[in-house]
Parts: sequence; C-alpha cells; structure tokens
Amino acid sequence: MGVAFVAHCLLNQNSKVGDGAHCAGVYSPVIDVLREKGWRIEQMPCPELAFTGLNRFWAVKEQLDTAAYRRHCERLAEAVAAVISVRVTKGEDVVLVGVEGSPSMGVTVTSSDPLRGGRPEWPDGTAEHVSGEGIFVEEIHKALAKRGIGFPRVAGETHALAGHDEAAQRAGLESALEG
Amino acid sequence: MKPDQRSFRIMLAADRYVNPPPGGLDAVAVAEQTGWGVMQLPADDYPPEVAGPLLAEVAEQLEEFSRHGYAFVLVGERAGLPEALANVGVPLPDQISPGTPRQLADFLDGRPAPRAAWDAGSAAD
Repeated sequence: MGVAFVAHCLLNQNSKVGDGAHCAGVYSPVIDVLREKGWRIEQMPCPELAFTGLNRFWAVKEQLDTAAYRRHCERLAEAVAAVISVRVTKGEDVVLVGVEGSPSMGVTVTSSDPLRGGRPEWPDGTAEHVSGEGIFVEEIHKALAKRGIGFPRVAGETHALAGHDEAAQRAGLESALEG
Repeated sequence: MKPDQRSFRIMLAADRYVNPPPGGLDAVAVAEQTGWGVMQLPADDYPPEVAGPLLAEVAEQLEEFSRHGYAFVLVGERAGLPEALANVGVPLPDQISPGTPRQLADFLDGRPAPRAAWDAGSAAD
C-alpha cells in the first residue's frame, strides 16, 4: 500500500475536454482498484483546465507546448512534487496514474502531430498517439529530479487509446501498484 | 463516439472524506453513486508551504468551472480555502459535514440543476 497520485480527471470527469468525459464524475475502473488495494489517493491538478479552459479544443502535444504553458505546468509540478516529497520522506510507496494519449497527462503514451494547427479539422483515425510523456508529466519529472527524488512507477488510464481494454488497463494498474 | 457524460456537478471534498479513516465516510463512493465529480482538498497535516499552492490551484480551477455555470458544494472544511476562493472572486459553496452516506446523498440530490447543464441541453432530473 502507498499513495497514488492520480490525474485530476480520474476523480472529476467534468474537467475533460468537450466530448471527452467517459462518465459523470468519478472514473470507477481506476479509483475502485485503488480502493480495493488500500492505496491513499492524491488528486493532481488538471494542467489544461485553468490554462486553456473548459471550451478548449482537443489538442496534440505540439499545440500546447508553448513557453507559457510550460511555465504553468512547472508551477503545478512544483506543487505536486512538494506533496510527493512529504510522502517519500515518510517512507511511503508512490505511484503516478496518468491518462494515456493525453498531451499533458500521458505517462507512456502522449499525442503528437507536428503539422496540426489552424482550422481544427483533420481526418478521423489520424495516428497521433506516440510513445512518450505528456507535458505536465515531463515537468513533474523535472521537479522531482530537482529535489533528488526518483520518478515513481506509473500507470495510465487508457480509455482514449485504440483497442482500449478495461481488463488490460486494470492489469497495468495492479502491476504498477505491486511494483 | 459516446456523447460526453459529464454531470456538471462537483464536490470539493476534505481529505478525510477522500481518504477516510477506518469507519469514516467515503465521499468518493457517494460521488460515484450520485454522479458527482470530486476535487480533493489538501490533507490537514500538510505544512502551509505545501498546502497553500494546492489550495490556490483548486481555487483557480474552481473559478473556471464557476464561470461556466457548473454546480459545486463543499464536503467538510479546509483551513485556507475561504481565502483562496476569495482571491479568485468565488464564494464559498454550500457546505455539509455529513455523518452518513445517506445524509451526503440526500444533500447532493437536493441541489438545483447546474446552469451549465441547462446550457448544454442535458440537465438531469
């Protein structure tokens, strides 16, 4: 057992980009596993919500990756890293649960398309998901490194990925929790 | 693609209702049953230099929800929250410190439909 730092939207789907909320509020497939396993929950701030707002368009990483957004994420990451530091100092195990495919919250899969911009129209099925971390997760990485804290194990909610499989998502989360 | 399923309803929840002690009330479970989202408040034992920035971020995000007519309530209390909300011009929402899941569920069920839901044409109830 330990502390799971979870993406904001896993407790609050109201923060999702329009047409992105998979349920009314709490994303049970992830939260219920954490409850069953006895993990403490720490909700991270949503980096996109306050910066780009509730009416934001769906975006890939390159569209959000501005100096101003980086500074915003850096500020939030420092706040998160401070809490992780408190927990690590107590000797507690920590995992980070992100959102795969997200330009901000992806932990092993983010979204990328260097050509995307302008009028927001693009063909369905564009292969935008690539290996890598989202911008906020990258900034958490840096903030923890500055404190000399290793990056925690990660798991991701995979609803946005092609071939999403809830059982595979659960297995990935359980694997991260078990270390 | 399934339509967006958000509820436009958010509970600000004190940490003891998100990570309840043995025998404590689990507000996340009630939120799951009633379709409310949860914004967690920092644990009471975090030092001010840790909790302060988190409260500021909660307030900034709540400001965005408030501007768009989402409904929110406060479950429990957290020192510093009124000041953080005042800094962004958001009033402290209606509050409850429930003793039972039923009390919390009844409180949530009694809330008026959020303006944002009506704007989106998807008001429930």
